[in-house]
Amino acid sequence: MNFTRRITESFWNLTRYPMRSSFMMLGCLVGVAALNLVVGVGSAVERRLVNTVQMYFSASSILVTSGGNPFAGGPRGDGARLTLDDIEAVAFALPSIEAWDPMQVLDAVPLKTGNASATGRVVGSSDRAERVWQRGVTRGEYFDATAVNRASRVALLGATLSRTLFKGDDPLGAEILIAGAPFRVIGLLEPVGTDIHGIDRDNEVIVPISTMLRRVMNVDSIRGAKLLVRDPAQVTQVARDIKSILREHHGLASGQTDDFTVVTPVEVLKLVANTKRILFIFLPLVAAVALLVGGIVSASLMLSSVSQRTSEIGLRRALGARTRDIALQFLLETSATTVVAGVLGTGLGIVAARLIAERLSLPPSLPWGAAMLGLLLAVMIGLAAGVVPARRAARLQPVDALR
Amino acid sequence: MIVLEGIGKRYDKVGIETVHALRDMSLNLTRGELLAIVGSSGSGKSTLLNVLGLLDRPSEGTYFIDGQDVTRLSSDEQAHLRNRRFGFVFQAFRLLPRATAIENVELPLLYSERKNIDGLAKTALESVGLGDRVAHRPAELSGGQQQRVAIARALVNEPDVILADEPTGNLDAHSALEVMALFQRMNRDGRTIVLVTHDAQIAEHCQRIARIEHGRIVSNQRVAEPKDASVALDELTAAKGSAQ
Repeated sequence: MNFTRRITESFWNLTRYPMRSSFMMLGCLVGVAALNLVVGVGSAVERRLVNTVQMYFSASSILVTSGGNPFAGGPRGDGARLTLDDIEAVAFALPSIEAWDPMQVLDAVPLKTGNASATGRVVGSSDRAERVWQRGVTRGEYFDATAVNRASRVALLGATLSRTLFKGDDPLGAEILIAGAPFRVIGLLEPVGTDIHGIDRDNEVIVPISTMLRRVMNVDSIRGAKLLVRDPAQVTQVARDIKSILREHHGLASGQTDDFTVVTPVEVLKLVANTKRILFIFLPLVAAVALLVGGIVSASLMLSSVSQRTSEIGLRRALGARTRDIALQFLLETSATTVVAGVLGTGLGIVAARLIAERLSLPPSLPWGAAMLGLLLAVMIGLAAGVVPARRAARLQPVDALR
Repeated sequence: MIVLEGIGKRYDKVGIETVHALRDMSLNLTRGELLAIVGSSGSGKSTLLNVLGLLDRPSEGTYFIDGQDVTRLSSDEQAHLRNRRFGFVFQAFRLLPRATAIENVELPLLYSERKNIDGLAKTALESVGLGDRVAHRPAELSGGQQQRVAIARALVNEPDVILADEPTGNLDAHSALEVMALFQRMNRDGRTIVLVTHDAQIAEHCQRIARIEHGRIVSNQRVAEPKDASVALDELTAAKGSAQ
């Protein structure tokens, strides 16, 4: 058997029709790449989402934010006021609340050291933030209750800011200017990366809430607060109690809408589930359409190629090729195109997904399932559209194929 | 060597009458013969050649090659037999358009069981006078040259029998003579050749002429003195030379 000769001849056949071969490959390649890209980015987003939710929102936490809009976006309503007193009243009235931490935020604040400047987010928190938000310091120490009571000018610096402002120098004990006011750095925050909104949570500085309200912003309202409930089973009941206390505190009549929002883990989980549904049903559907279109392009090219080559098949049969020789030839030709296209497409899709994930600071993920599925589909297209019709043509009487 | 007995070929078409392309045909072919099958279009001569070459199955009758009934062989066994015993030359050359001359000539070797096939295709091309055209594609060759490539392809596996269906049908007079001269030389080298033609002048180069009408052999005669194509070719070349 001149087996190796026949193998090389099959590959030569591909190069004899470079346009057709490359479009066959392109169809599969684009489809497989799209599938891998979408599933790769999708699973990276999902991982980030789940990580973030786990990090910030355990089953026993309740989030209260000022304004009556749902917490995921939208402008805040007019006259939205949530104060430290409100949350203190809630915590005092409800013994099932184990701990709480108020929060006020100011974005894009100019920050300075002696020879460097940066723009960052300033967060005002209580000394209990370390526990409530599960984010401590890697070096130095967290500010304590005294610092909060005295409205001390101390700051905890995030990793990104520490890099831009101090460039390798030790920031601990150094002085930074926050919106012009001097603060002493007493701790370096644990790095946490980017959150679901794409905000770098390491580009922030945390100061005592009292200092934030009086010295930095000169307001007495807060952005929100996170409360921890002793028993996760009571979360829904506690959230209801919080609402009624806050409504009473704000003097809202029964017809008026809330000027605050209470978010429970139940709602967050619903949001996560919704997002997951989009990520894992809708996006792969889009990718499947891309794969289908690519597959149809490849398949139709192969089908027309086989029917154009029926007389070639007849000729080869006349010259002594058996049915299985023809099947082998087309198997080699189509699998060379589809497997090469599948592998290239998988590589391209994974690399593109990685690049996008990197830009969005998402954790890397390898969509093995999608890669396997893409390759499998590519090979099946080759078999169905290349080998099967070629076998059928090979079964004809040579004289009929030659016509 | 080849014996056809009572061969018939019907084409059944739905709604149309059955077409009898061959009727009760018997034919003997001895080794080393150069046989022409002549007849008008539709007389069944190409069908006969296809049956001889195992490209088509007869509806009835028996076909023996060296005493073996080949009509009972499976299609793959027939393919193997074609590869070993037959070389084909077609009217429309049937070369792979994107493959070079040598790649075209190599095709039968790909499906053969022969070892050491290196150089055979080159030798075959040299034997038809195209040793300097191995890397040319069909489009870069004249009709006569393309048919010579096809003849080299028919020869490369050293078959006993060459079957040619209107091999000169697409060629000018000069190229046709060249092809016939090749066939005569191959015949002198011991190969059995059957060629189908409707051209009486071409047939006169053969040792025997079988005439077919309506699927039957109506005459089967030896040619007393077959013409020598190489002599006619020399005359033609000389005439061209003096005209210029």
